[in-house]
Amino acid sequence: MPKARLIDTSKCTACRGCQVACKQWNELPAEETKQLGTYENPPHLSGNTWIKVEFRERPGEWLFRAHTCMHCVDASCEKVCPTGAISHQGEVVLIDQKQCIGCGYCVLACPYNVPHRDEITGTARKCTFCIDRIGNGLEPACAKTCPPGAIKFGERADLIAMAEQRVQTLISDYGYPNANVYGADELGGLHTIYVLTERPSALGLPETPEVATSTVLAQWLSGVVTAGVLAALPFWLLFKRKKQIEAEQKSKVEGGVR
Amino acid sequence: MTTWSAPIWLYLWLAGMAGGAYFAAFLAERFTGNGNGQLLRIATYLGAPLAVVGVILLVADLGNPIRFWHLLTVFKAVSPMSIGTWILLIWIGVAVVMAILWWAEASLSQEAGRGLRQITGALSWIGFVFAILVMAYTGVLLATSSQPLWTGTLLLPALFVASAVSTGVAMLIISGATGRTRLVPGKMVSRLAEADAILIVVELVVLVGYAIWLSASSTAGTSEALALLTSGALALPFWLGVVLLALLIPLGLEFASWGKKLETGGVWRTVITSSVFVILGGLILRAVIVIGGQI
Repeated sequence: MPKARLIDTSKCTACRGCQVACKQWNELPAEETKQLGTYENPPHLSGNTWIKVEFRERPGEWLFRAHTCMHCVDASCEKVCPTGAISHQGEVVLIDQKQCIGCGYCVLACPYNVPHRDEITGTARKCTFCIDRIGNGLEPACAKTCPPGAIKFGERADLIAMAEQRVQTLISDYGYPNANVYGADELGGLHTIYVLTERPSALGLPETPEVATSTVLAQWLSGVVTAGVLAALPFWLLFKRKKQIEAEQKSKVEGGVR
Repeated sequence: MTTWSAPIWLYLWLAGMAGGAYFAAFLAERFTGNGNGQLLRIATYLGAPLAVVGVILLVADLGNPIRFWHLLTVFKAVSPMSIGTWILLIWIGVAVVMAILWWAEASLSQEAGRGLRQITGALSWIGFVFAILVMAYTGVLLATSSQPLWTGTLLLPALFVASAVSTGVAMLIISGATGRTRLVPGKMVSRLAEADAILIVVELVVLVGYAIWLSASSTAGTSEALALLTSGALALPFWLGVVLLALLIPLGLEFASWGKKLETGGVWRTVITSSVFVILGGLILRAVIVIGGQI
């Protein structure tokens, strides 16, 4: 049975314990940060920051969402990777640091803007789902540390059931009419499931994420047809057709002389 | 923090121009039927080095340039970058072999040269197919991602192909029309200039279609991406560099000299000027699209 991680945004207090735990377990260096006017820090995910609590402010309320790898079944990063450095190990999407050439394609292909190129290693890096922990029966560092229990790790099916129940409670008892579960079906099923208090777009998630390669055949067709038809047309008109017309005129003139 | 910066848009521009020049030279000579191969030689001798420079830029832009050979251990149909690696490799390889055969042919007798000519003739068809793929792949590469400006329509590969052929023709015009000894007959250059005028119309139509499609698309972020070009941070390079420099000004210049003999008056100068604008505009188009997709 596949495991998953559940992030309940209604329980998140933005303590950023997950950020610290992730850095400690994975031995990731600190970042030079910037004052953003809130406690939100660092500004975005990077090659050295694999989970980060995003802050969104609206009148009277903060919306918090821990941003990290979704470990998609249909993972865009894995599909576009030109060297096969990105692969699934069970439910985990992993970047092989010895294979990665640092082309940056996964960075631009991910619908969630998760992998980033690290300037020091020159490779793309992101959340590994603490594969070295979960492989030994432990939970990921972020889930282990989360004080309000907003991040949970367990059987995917159980977590989805738990999330649906929580959403019902949020709608009926806590006044969140837009609460919803995100990740049960998106991109073939995500292994980071969210309980969201608002629509996905209000929390910085795409409402209908698409795999980067979903239109790749049509895109090839677009380029090849343009070359074969539209771009070839002027040459046919000016070089072939014109020559034929000239030849016809020439034969007419010759016919007249005779 | 930009992932793909100047080396990438320079590469897209160079590879497009190289593939476009080959595509145009091949068709022009096949359609006239009397091609002495001069135009295709110019396209190959200029295009292959440009593509090699492009590849060097790509490798240099990798986070781990020394590991570039990892690309050559994989063939992955779903990844445009993997396919593109092989397309480039094959196209450059064919071009180099063709250049060597041409060079060998010149030092052989008429009789022995004929056999070689048949081989180069067959190779030039392979080169043609791969030139199309070289042009198309750069657009597909960007369009297979999650950046709204690139993925919001199916027209980015079409736009890049149109621009590639246009800049390629411009390169042929400049190399054919300048220099002390004219490498290409004036009539051929005039027709290339006329072909470029039609190509610019095609590119203009594709660009308008691309903009309309972006504004009408239901994909999140596409209208913001379009606004970035038309009224946002990239409005100046877009309107001045792409619309005016690459399209409208050359279009006016090419039509002004349409049908006129190259040697008469300022026609020669007009055609060269227009071609320089097309090439510069093609570079600005790649830069605007690559930068715009990552803002």
